[in-house]
Amino acid sequence: MNKRLPSTVFFTRLASVITTLFGISIFVFIVLRVIPGDSITGSLGIETGALTPEQIESLRAYYGIDKSLFGQYFSWMGSFLTGDFGFAYSNGVSVLELTKSALPVTIQLALFGTIFGVILGISVGMFSASKPGSVRDFAGQFFGLLALAVPGFVLATTLVTVMANVFGYFPNGFEYMSPWEDPWMNFQQMMFPSLVLGIAVAAPVMRTTRSALLETVDKDFIRTAHGKGVKHRVVQFKHVLRNSLIPIVTMTGIQFGYLLGGAVITEKIFAMPGMGRQILDAINKREYATVQSSVMIFAIMFVLINLITDIIYRRIDPRIK
Amino acid sequence: MKEKTWFSYYLKSISGVIGGILVLVMFTISILSALGITPHDPLIQDPVNALQGPSAQYWFGTDQFGRDILSRCMDGMRRSMLVSVVAVSIATLVGVILGIVGGYFGKFLDGFVVRFSDVIFAFPAILLALAIVNSLGNSWIDTSLAIAVVYTPIFIRVARGPVLSVKEMDYVKAVRILGFSTPKVLFSHILPNVLPPIVIQVALSMSWAILTESGLSFLGLGTQPPDASLGLMVSEAQSLAAFAWWTLAFPSLFITIAVVGLNLVGDGLRDSLDPARRSS
Amino acid sequence: MKRKKLAIAALAASLAVGTLAAQPAKAASTSLAIGSVLDIDKLDPHTATNFATVRALGLVYSSLIEVGPANKLKTGLATAWQFSADGKTLRLTLREGVKFHDGSTFDAVDAKASLERILDPKTTAAARANISTITSISASGRYLTLNLSVSNIPILAALDGVNMAMLSSTDIAAGKVGGTNKPNGTGAYKFESWEPTQSVKLSANPTYWMGEPKISDITIRVIPNEASILSAMNAGTIQFGIISDPLIAKQVNTRKLKLYKTPALAYYALQLNNKVAPFNDKNVRLAVQCALDRQEVVNTAMLGQGAISGPITSPAYRSSTTARPCPKADLAKAKAYLTASGKTDVTFKALVTSTGWATSVAMAQNIKAQLAKAGITMELDITDQATYVPRWLAGDFVATLANNGGRIDPDTMYTRYFTSTGNLNKVATYASSTLDANFLKGKSSAKSSVRAEAYTAISKELEDNAVWVWIATPFEYRVADKNLKNFTALTTGSLLPLRSASLG
Repeated sequence: MNKRLPSTVFFTRLASVITTLFGISIFVFIVLRVIPGDSITGSLGIETGALTPEQIESLRAYYGIDKSLFGQYFSWMGSFLTGDFGFAYSNGVSVLELTKSALPVTIQLALFGTIFGVILGISVGMFSASKPGSVRDFAGQFFGLLALAVPGFVLATTLVTVMANVFGYFPNGFEYMSPWEDPWMNFQQMMFPSLVLGIAVAAPVMRTTRSALLETVDKDFIRTAHGKGVKHRVVQFKHVLRNSLIPIVTMTGIQFGYLLGGAVITEKIFAMPGMGRQILDAINKREYATVQSSVMIFAIMFVLINLITDIIYRRIDPRIK
Repeated sequence: MKEKTWFSYYLKSISGVIGGILVLVMFTISILSALGITPHDPLIQDPVNALQGPSAQYWFGTDQFGRDILSRCMDGMRRSMLVSVVAVSIATLVGVILGIVGGYFGKFLDGFVVRFSDVIFAFPAILLALAIVNSLGNSWIDTSLAIAVVYTPIFIRVARGPVLSVKEMDYVKAVRILGFSTPKVLFSHILPNVLPPIVIQVALSMSWAILTESGLSFLGLGTQPPDASLGLMVSEAQSLAAFAWWTLAFPSLFITIAVVGLNLVGDGLRDSLDPARRSS
Repeated sequence: MKRKKLAIAALAASLAVGTLAAQPAKAASTSLAIGSVLDIDKLDPHTATNFATVRALGLVYSSLIEVGPANKLKTGLATAWQFSADGKTLRLTLREGVKFHDGSTFDAVDAKASLERILDPKTTAAARANISTITSISASGRYLTLNLSVSNIPILAALDGVNMAMLSSTDIAAGKVGGTNKPNGTGAYKFESWEPTQSVKLSANPTYWMGEPKISDITIRVIPNEASILSAMNAGTIQFGIISDPLIAKQVNTRKLKLYKTPALAYYALQLNNKVAPFNDKNVRLAVQCALDRQEVVNTAMLGQGAISGPITSPAYRSSTTARPCPKADLAKAKAYLTASGKTDVTFKALVTSTGWATSVAMAQNIKAQLAKAGITMELDITDQATYVPRWLAGDFVATLANNGGRIDPDTMYTRYFTSTGNLNKVATYASSTLDANFLKGKSSAKSSVRAEAYTAISKELEDNAVWVWIATPFEYRVADKNLKNFTALTTGSLLPLRSASLG
């Protein structure tokens, strides 16, 4: 019914993305100002009491909180658009510097978590779907439920306690290593947090896989393949799985998007210097620029991933116009 | 009549039945705790019996103040349930109204509703809740509101989607042509048609709300000590777990059971409300 | 078949874990990795207030005088000092041959410039108030002379610490202190790098005036969770941990690790606002004091890992914990005080900060439960640090459970709170002419017997009036590898003793 040209579709999407991001920027700005306390008390603590009024005035100018709210918003937005994310006072570096080291950690975590979750989810999903209603199906579904229900912080806390106290193994105690500096150490440090995140991803992927497989199995062409005497395992992999991919890919995209923004607690427990921890710290210290810019970066990534998933989806499924 | 057939379908779903039982158990526990029926007072400290393992007197053991962990789990369950019910109710009400109205009227209003839900969607959930609780305060109402804001867009989407297709259906068009008032069309003819996915979503959202609430308490937001909350108990247990496992195990178990139960109920509802699934 | 596969998988998994567990080999014997929850927040020693910054920069800078265990003054960059007869002039002799990390030589001009920088209000130096009695400074050769407005003996102890760090006068003149400038001190360790939220790296200073430290590299690594610090210690991935949560310290396996435990100077107190109801009534304050079993607070909130204390925590002048109204909880007396106050129902709100909350919040919970038994209702108002601070500073509370930092000298510790002109008197909510007189007496005498007398009187007045209810001092914990030798833990929590420590 809607026969707009592709470019029109693109521009409408772009316009909506921009208004969304604009809305987020105002939202995060306002929410932050409503929280009591400011950058000075957030960083100096009770020592703020030793300051004279002049010192407080000059500090307010230093933190840029002496301007009106409008002034603060526009000066932040203005510099954000030119790629200047502001200055993280308590860390003594620009937010861009901070983000440059934190963002890769979060992306890697989300990536590892998603990969692990997808592998686990698809395998358990196939395992379950191979004999619906059987004990193995029950076991698989039970796993899916548990993975969904056990909160990440419970899993993480338990893992840390057990690994360190029973096995004396805790790679996250070492200085964080990027994959370029020390790939093996990086892998060990990523392993447990990715496991925690991955299990959360595995649950919805497992459920999607199972139901998609069960639906496909009933389709005629699969029956035909079986009828032709194609080996069961081949049918499973070649025909059934491939034809169930669309919902699985969609679910994976959604989960990846969530992981990028959702690893706050896991990063905290495993001492991963990622974006989640950066924002949490910044909220506690009332580092406005850091919170605002980091949230914007998250939002941009989230919107982009949605856009990409959407494009892939349209490509795979011709029914969607 | 319709009610009866739906319920008999629901009873056929194993997940639905098991989930229903689990949720009922947790609900009963919450009610008992609300009535003050717990083995011990969840707030009474008994330092002499601090950090005791499970025993006949303290089934789930005691915490560092000698408070009974079972009673605190029950009380925490009540709070989680309360927050989850209130939050999801608000989210459902607001989300469904916005979704239906937006989907039905389209144009500018719809654009606004969709943008609003996009804004909130693109905001990392736990951070959004964190920021809101930080600025509102720490009572259970504030937590509920924060969680409601996070979940509203889901309901907008769930309600809006079907409205778009339902409003093009012949009989709705017919009703409109017959001159029924807009609210009547919306609530008598459109709402019933979009109800099933919403009901399923309510069950699932309640389970997520319980997880979010405990995550927030884990970070020190939401329920404040000495009141009990499951997330807070896990957080306190972090430094105790190595020598007092029960401080971590039982509150975790409670969260898990509640979330599993609500999810199974969601599955059961899906099986019984979706005509396509009924046949299989 | 299936079961066998599973068993093999399990075996493989446990083997993998086993090899991994065996993997963390001992680090090179001369580098030390330290785990700390806090990251440093700046590189300017004079304005540093954050514990982590003070600890890290303490290794990089030196001060003129050091305060050793039991409040004993030790030589630092000054080797000798003498007061004039009227106590208003202090002459310090500086150590010779001391070099900054950039190779330049330290002399009296540097010392003068450093102290002047601290005194300059524009610097907003953290410890300016402690040396504000300095009216002028003169430098000549090896000698530094401080002219004081009043006789001020405790100024010697006030010259200790990172906030009194000696900087190079060239750096000061060029404005190259703090910000992103690399710290240039005379301390045991050279500053190498700082990766915010991750780590600070230091390397041994070969020309250190006490001799080159044996541990050649120090990395202070941020691990934002004390449970994880202990885990890292157990796994051998770090060799030194800074712990403040007693619950974590309790789990240290002392067969595998060394645990250093010293009572801290910091203290926990229930600060009562003497200016507003119900605590403008002394009887109500005393009722709270008498209702509290401090040992129970320590036992529950700190799992026994703390020491009951009075106002003064400095080792040399420590307040007696028995010479106070109700040294042991006495509910009958508490009720009698309540009756005397004429109030039957006392309800109040206590402000508590959740930052570093494990102990504060736990303590507040136990105090609430205890006071309830005496018929006093305490409600908790828990906020994060950034919200707590402005309210604390404005005296905007009826009561607050505070975890205040202590100082090695009672003068620098309490003058700012309990003298009528102290900048934190609004927070203390109490002052009197006798307190003012006693603080002056303690400040202007060099004789420790006279000073002890003054501080005992101060302690007594504070406790008899139940101005605040002092509860306990936590322990400072340092967890170290078994191989760490010659390390002593100081009450100040300083890491400076690492300069003479060795590994293996």
